[in-house]
Amino acid sequence: MVLPAAVAPRALRAIQQPIRQVTQKRGLAAAASGSFQYEQGEAHSVQYASRDLPSATTTLAVVARAGSRYQPLPGFSDALEKFAFKSTMKRSALRITRESELLGGELSAYHNRENLVLRARFMKEDLPYFTELLAELISKTRYTSHELAEEVMHVMRLDQKGLLASPLNMAMNSVHGVAFHHGLGTPTNATSSSPFQKYIDAQAIADYSEAAYARKNIAVVANGADHQELAKWVKEFFQDTKTASSVYTIKNEPTKYFGGEERIAHASGNVMILAFPGSSSFTSGQSFKPELQVLAALLGGETSIKWSPGFSLLSKAAADFPLAHVSTVNQAYTDAGLLTVTITGKSQDIAKASKAVVDALKSVASGNVSDEDITKATALAKFRALEAGQQTQAGLEATGMGLISNKQPYQIDQLGDKIGKVTADQVKTAAKSLLDQKAAVSSVGDLFVLPWAEEIGLKV
Amino acid sequence: MSGPSLAPYIMRRPWLRSWMMPFAKWYANASGYRRLGLRADDLIPEENDTVQLALKRLPPKEAYDRVFRLRRAFQCSLAHQLLPPEEQTKPEEDTSYLKPIIEEIEREYKEMADLESMTIQKRK
Repeated sequence: MVLPAAVAPRALRAIQQPIRQVTQKRGLAAAASGSFQYEQGEAHSVQYASRDLPSATTTLAVVARAGSRYQPLPGFSDALEKFAFKSTMKRSALRITRESELLGGELSAYHNRENLVLRARFMKEDLPYFTELLAELISKTRYTSHELAEEVMHVMRLDQKGLLASPLNMAMNSVHGVAFHHGLGTPTNATSSSPFQKYIDAQAIADYSEAAYARKNIAVVANGADHQELAKWVKEFFQDTKTASSVYTIKNEPTKYFGGEERIAHASGNVMILAFPGSSSFTSGQSFKPELQVLAALLGGETSIKWSPGFSLLSKAAADFPLAHVSTVNQAYTDAGLLTVTITGKSQDIAKASKAVVDALKSVASGNVSDEDITKATALAKFRALEAGQQTQAGLEATGMGLISNKQPYQIDQLGDKIGKVTADQVKTAAKSLLDQKAAVSSVGDLFVLPWAEEIGLKV
Repeated sequence: MSGPSLAPYIMRRPWLRSWMMPFAKWYANASGYRRLGLRADDLIPEENDTVQLALKRLPPKEAYDRVFRLRRAFQCSLAHQLLPPEEQTKPEEDTSYLKPIIEEIEREYKEMADLESMTIQKRK
């Protein structure tokens, strides 16, 4: 269809108008009906939650409290993750793959410090199939020794190599180790060529799986599924889940912050991470401190707006060193948090930028912040928290974590409210307390150039 | 690697089994491998991918014992001697340690071939 030039824009607008109205209405209706809220339930003492988003696909996840923090021996969480979607009592790994390929589904598994997540994404009508599959994986996987030797170990070694080749991941694992020693300090994957193989055998992994996938230790979370449907299928398929393991228990030891410094030589990049005690995650209750999330946004380092250095204090401080990149994140866990300032880039620039970063931290700690900056940071922190909750992956995991620890899903509205209520005084107090404790510092890269924490003015 | 066999048919029928067992026991003893300290599964030809994979999947202790039995049997064969009776394989020791693994691998291969050649009918 060819339209005269003068008519075209108006015609196009006329065509688009009704469509735009429809989408707007849907957006408002969705927000008003509260469909971002999770509905929750319990079947065979397995917690589950879902929210019905207006979409054609569903994301279903089993979140288990079995990340590297809880593993009894090195590499167990990693091995358990890699055993996901391997052969079960009912069908082989190949059949699982082929069947989900035919349904157009996507299967994945990952673990981090706290959680092990098995995730399936698929068309809405295939919910029963994938609920059954995930239930089968956690209760009926065979954990054969030949799969361990032929496939799992191989992928674990590749992961280890990937980690060893990445200065950023090395530094992140190292700074957690320095800050928390055991528990949260355990590296997510094997970080050195230490023989993790000697700890792992198929029977031990099978025993650990009974503890990791025990009823009280998992949560089923769905995005884009009808709650009644999910309730029905969870009730049907999750009745075979184990109650506990006779060999291992998931120990929930309280985390203690230590602090200190570690330096690792590395040939392919430079990273320096300065870390301070941070805020735990929102679902944790009393140790959640929204002001630290605001402080992380205030320190920042990365801009959220194109062609501008942004308002954040660290991006201003590091503006003279364009080859160094600064970013601040509050890594939230169930009972602790770590506020990390990551500086990456050229070693000389990192050396100078790290000094500037510490000077900026000190000026914040002495109360030298404008209220306008705090307002901006509050808005940004609120936006980031809401957006993270809205994104499927982070939302699923946070919800699962909340369900397991205190049967409370991750309701993003409440989180937004809490961050919105943070006052300037709270942020200043939090900033002051930041430098009172020992910092955790980790440098990876060219150690001849990268400074020691003492030299840039940090107490470790 | 497992060929066609009448054994499952016979084993399913108790009356036929009780007929055949004495003959089977006599045959196994007469074939002589037990006097060299071997087990029946040691005689499976290993020059193919299936059995090679099955051998890799043996537990370390089983694999070690298998090599020991084979070497001892070679040595006996070279020296034209039989083992002393107390070292010969007893009928109750002559268990099937490799066959189940071979059968599992064959099932895997068969499933793979079946899945590769399946035709899909759309849901109506």
